[in-house]
Amino acid sequence: MNKQPFAGLLERIDPCCVRIPKSYKPGMRVPGLLFVNDKLLEQARKDQALDQVANVAFLPGIVGASIAMPDIHWGYGFCIGGVAATDPAEGGVICPGGIGYDINCGVRLVRTNLKYRQVKNRVRPLIQALFNRVPAGVGKGGAYTFSDKEMQLLLAEGASYVIGRGLGVPRDLGNTEANGRIEDAEPGNVSDHAIKRGKNQCGTLGSGNHFMEVQVVDQVFDEEVSTAFGLEKDQICVMIHSGSRGLGYQVCDDALVTFRNSHVKYGIDLPDRQLACAPADSPEGRRYIGAMRAAANFGFCNRQLLMQQAREVFEEVFGQTWQDLGMELLYDVAHNIAKLEEHSVEGKKKRLWIHRKGATRAFPAGHPELPNHFKKVGQPVIIPGDMGRASWVLVGQPGSMERTFGTTCHGAGRAMSRTAAVAQTGGRKIDKELEAKGIIAMAQSRRGLAEEQPSAYKNVDDVVDVVDGAGLSKKVARMRPLGVIKG
Amino acid sequence: MYEFFDHTADLGLRVRSLNLNDLFADAATALFAAIVDGLDSVRHEREMELEIVGTDREYLLFDWLRELLYRFEVDHLLLSKFQVEVSDFGLRARAWGEPIDPGRHVLSHEVKAITYHTLRVECIGNEWIAEVIVDI
Repeated sequence: MNKQPFAGLLERIDPCCVRIPKSYKPGMRVPGLLFVNDKLLEQARKDQALDQVANVAFLPGIVGASIAMPDIHWGYGFCIGGVAATDPAEGGVICPGGIGYDINCGVRLVRTNLKYRQVKNRVRPLIQALFNRVPAGVGKGGAYTFSDKEMQLLLAEGASYVIGRGLGVPRDLGNTEANGRIEDAEPGNVSDHAIKRGKNQCGTLGSGNHFMEVQVVDQVFDEEVSTAFGLEKDQICVMIHSGSRGLGYQVCDDALVTFRNSHVKYGIDLPDRQLACAPADSPEGRRYIGAMRAAANFGFCNRQLLMQQAREVFEEVFGQTWQDLGMELLYDVAHNIAKLEEHSVEGKKKRLWIHRKGATRAFPAGHPELPNHFKKVGQPVIIPGDMGRASWVLVGQPGSMERTFGTTCHGAGRAMSRTAAVAQTGGRKIDKELEAKGIIAMAQSRRGLAEEQPSAYKNVDDVVDVVDGAGLSKKVARMRPLGVIKG
Repeated sequence: MYEFFDHTADLGLRVRSLNLNDLFADAATALFAAIVDGLDSVRHEREMELEIVGTDREYLLFDWLRELLYRFEVDHLLLSKFQVEVSDFGLRARAWGEPIDPGRHVLSHEVKAITYHTLRVECIGNEWIAEVIVDI
């Protein structure tokens, strides 16, 4: 595989943003727009990520720009950290590669009333208990298996379905993006293969970069907003990163097979087969959208069940109910998804398909889609970093509506390939290194831990500086890891 | 023969063989080598037959790996030996392996899917080469 550095012309717009002009590749319908400072740009130029931004600009019906966030890195089809808005009224497409295999991969943050001093001597037994309880690792099934009939309800109703079965409380929904349910999901469009892959995986972490982490708030940047979110210094939180497991992967895979010939049928010329797509208003497009929404609902349920298991483990370890421990869901965000949203384009309101591939919605205060309790301050944005440094809570800002279709970054972004990370590890033991820094890491796979080591990632603080500086979202609080479980 | 190549977020499989049948068999071996640490730990206790229809070689390779991944996910079957016959209309294959035994098998990657990004099957000189990136 050739990893030629990007050699095209780049135009710097401001210290946080550069443009790839349309002239870079014939066929680009809009320019590329990268939210990066000079340091992150140098990293991003090293592989094919910037070319992928240019390729996305070929999509029919794309509006404004093909956008990339500062955690940009080389993906398949879209870059990771990619954002594209398409206009269905102008033949705009729905592109599964702009969502990813892991539909509604996302993050949730659970707050607690516990303070660092109450937990610092119990981190190891706490992490051990989470590791024993929460299913993680390759193809791992979970404690919950749903019948086919139950799966249909779960896919249609999202998190409210599992909460109705006693796995959570109704107020969790108000703290979940889209209330934990994407409307107009079509469970009937989800294949039997996808149902089979997913039906015993709801409530499991999976592997790769997915995790459950116990964190402590080590710095508050905005007192007013953090108080509104129920966060303060020294407070213990739990962060959960997972998606729609095998069900979502299969939904994407099925759609890409269906879309193989759509370039002929709809006359779509694209530079990468992984960008296969169909007009959002075509029969193929609508079918995928219904299935994708159902898979997104599965993702919300998965994180709901993961949170519920974490609540039960905390109850056992601390001998109090989760309600007494104050384990309320702060917020749950999707960062691999496409949603039909209203945005202002050159002064006109339009309904657009916003593809977020490793990018997070970041609506500012006053946005009509936010529940009342966030309308005054804005939407919480949860940004996981790596397991050795930090993670962040941000809040959506008006700049996101003006510049990025209501979107910000989603994480640190990889700096090193998996193979390079393993090679660099040599005989080092990553869990021992983390332990020396006071972080307990337990993983099903030693190789997985090496691939996910902190140095394989960019520094999340650099990424957050850019989105804060660009006015897309604002720093609220920074958390540092105490312990993590992984697949 | 197969090797893994660098991809920032995911994992690349590169396969070289002297004929197309071996290329497809080796690609399958590479897929399972990405899933399990130490393919030698997989015993050939079960045999299965597969048939994939397709005329485009790249899509045929994709569909072959996709089917094997599905069998692994749903039947929890690890496969480590493959015999493949590729024709102009598709392929017929036999594969050997066994169900996952957590006591003996160390699983290393959850392969979410096979991707089309830079997928290729080519004959260069007298050697066949295939590249495919899998989503981790």
